[in-house]
Amino acid sequence: MTRKARPRRGTRRDRIAMQALAVLLALLALSPFLWLLLMSFKTNAEIFRFPPRLLFDATLANYAALWTSEFRNSFANSLIVGVVSTTLSLVIGVPAAYALSRWTTRASGTITLWILASRMAPPIAFTIPYFLVYRHLELLDTLTGLIIIYLTFNLSLVIWMMRPFYDQLPRSLEEAAWIDGATMWQGFRRIILPLSGPGLAATAILCFLFAWNDFFFALILTRTEAMTAPVAVVNFMNYEGWEWGRIAAGGTMIMLPVLVFSFVVRRYLVHGLTGGALKG
Amino acid sequence: MKSSAAGGFRRSQHRFFALCVAPSLAVLALITLLPSLYLLATSFTPLNLTRPETQWDFSQPFVSYGQLVSDSRLHNSVWVQIKLSFWTVVLQLLIGLGLALLLNMRTRLLDALRTVFLIPMVLPPIVVAIIWKVIYTPDISPMHGIFRALGWNVPALITDPDWALTSIIIADTWEWFPFTMLMVLAGLQMMPQELLDAAKVDGATPWQLTRYITLPFIKGVLLVAGLFRLIDSIKAFPLIFILTDGGPGNLTEVTNYYSYLQAFNFSYLGFSSAITIALLAATIVLSWVIVRMVGWGAAVD
Repeated sequence: MTRKARPRRGTRRDRIAMQALAVLLALLALSPFLWLLLMSFKTNAEIFRFPPRLLFDATLANYAALWTSEFRNSFANSLIVGVVSTTLSLVIGVPAAYALSRWTTRASGTITLWILASRMAPPIAFTIPYFLVYRHLELLDTLTGLIIIYLTFNLSLVIWMMRPFYDQLPRSLEEAAWIDGATMWQGFRRIILPLSGPGLAATAILCFLFAWNDFFFALILTRTEAMTAPVAVVNFMNYEGWEWGRIAAGGTMIMLPVLVFSFVVRRYLVHGLTGGALKG
Repeated sequence: MKSSAAGGFRRSQHRFFALCVAPSLAVLALITLLPSLYLLATSFTPLNLTRPETQWDFSQPFVSYGQLVSDSRLHNSVWVQIKLSFWTVVLQLLIGLGLALLLNMRTRLLDALRTVFLIPMVLPPIVVAIIWKVIYTPDISPMHGIFRALGWNVPALITDPDWALTSIIIADTWEWFPFTMLMVLAGLQMMPQELLDAAKVDGATPWQLTRYITLPFIKGVLLVAGLFRLIDSIKAFPLIFILTDGGPGNLTEVTNYYSYLQAFNFSYLGFSSAITIALLAATIVLSWVIVRMVGWGAAVD
């Protein structure tokens, strides 16, 4: 085992200069995001004012207008679809991740590529066949239809995230239970699952976020009934005449849960996006 | 314990593992493999939604693939895609690497900043697109406000032929530099301290340390990060949909977007399927390269 790198130590002045530069760059990088956040609290007149007033009269009117509109339904749709597809993916995918971690077969390389390709495939590759089939199954514009298509990326994600997690749990744990007469299932259910808490939580959050963030599938496969929040916000742009305040407020409402959850799972972000290409 | 009891246990173990894996494989086959085959089948038909009789018409199976060769708008989209992919991957790697090197010190402030820098990447893509729509709309854009205050007459970038693609590249780079930054930071943390210490003893300057020790060490990480971004760049959609709609003209129309237009604006699902099969093949090849590079395939021990 190599020693982990200790952070470099420059001279004191260098370090202060570097940190100041980092703060400056962070402010610059975040300014577009902060601008949208501020915009959501502005009246229309205030939005068009330049230079902006630092202390403007903040208003919640944009949010209030959203909450009394159809947007509320779309927000609920996003929540339902995200939670259900996450739950299904975990129930189906976690045992598979465990088995793939413990069971070495010749097919594991193929399965790995298949799962990675499912995660990496351009969404349109699934959208075309799903669209054609859903027309006949009457699943267009339904929450069920969205939940099924979100499984395409979330089920793969669960296997990706949980398999390396189980690789790290020592086999001696369940082997001890087997020697004591526990069945395979009991070993998994009573020993392994209770130890999976942190991995499961991170995986669940990432699954939910991927479903929540989806725009393309929802754009094509929904019309009105099952429309999700990201599509609803875009509709403010196209049909209701550029209501910037409401667009900003809608965008903020979509991103708030994402920011909170991402902060919780920030350690797992790279892992979730690359499927453990890097063990860091 | 090499009795038949052990063999029985082994068998029950296999049965249990097979039972665990089966539902996932069955569902994946149903929701990813079957649709892919459906897509492939559709690509051999001239399916046009306005003419239902074209749905299972395999009389001229390669007509859509012939179009792949002859359609100049498609060729243009591939060229736009190459430009977009190249510049976004290069810029994201450079910015990600630079920031990672800057932030690779353990202080409380930098730890906090590392989290702050993640924000663009975790934002829903549609919110990123809205943010940049605001920045690129002169009436309400703080950027254009500053330009005006300086007396510069800058056109709306997303409708300007010279700037449209660049503006997409800027927005995409902003969205994804945190990803390469995170990967590089993770790579830097695995660097053995002995290596740096030895070089320092030999009197290496910070620049030489970076150039001859750090960079070679994280070369692999950079390559994998670049490949992931390359695959993702093929899927670019929300930014283009919201900012430019492929325009002006076809200047920002990438292949994925063109395929979307053919399928869902013009109803030519057969042709769109053929384009998408080509895109899918490209992603599978790139994924395979990643699997080989990371060595997942060899994980059988």
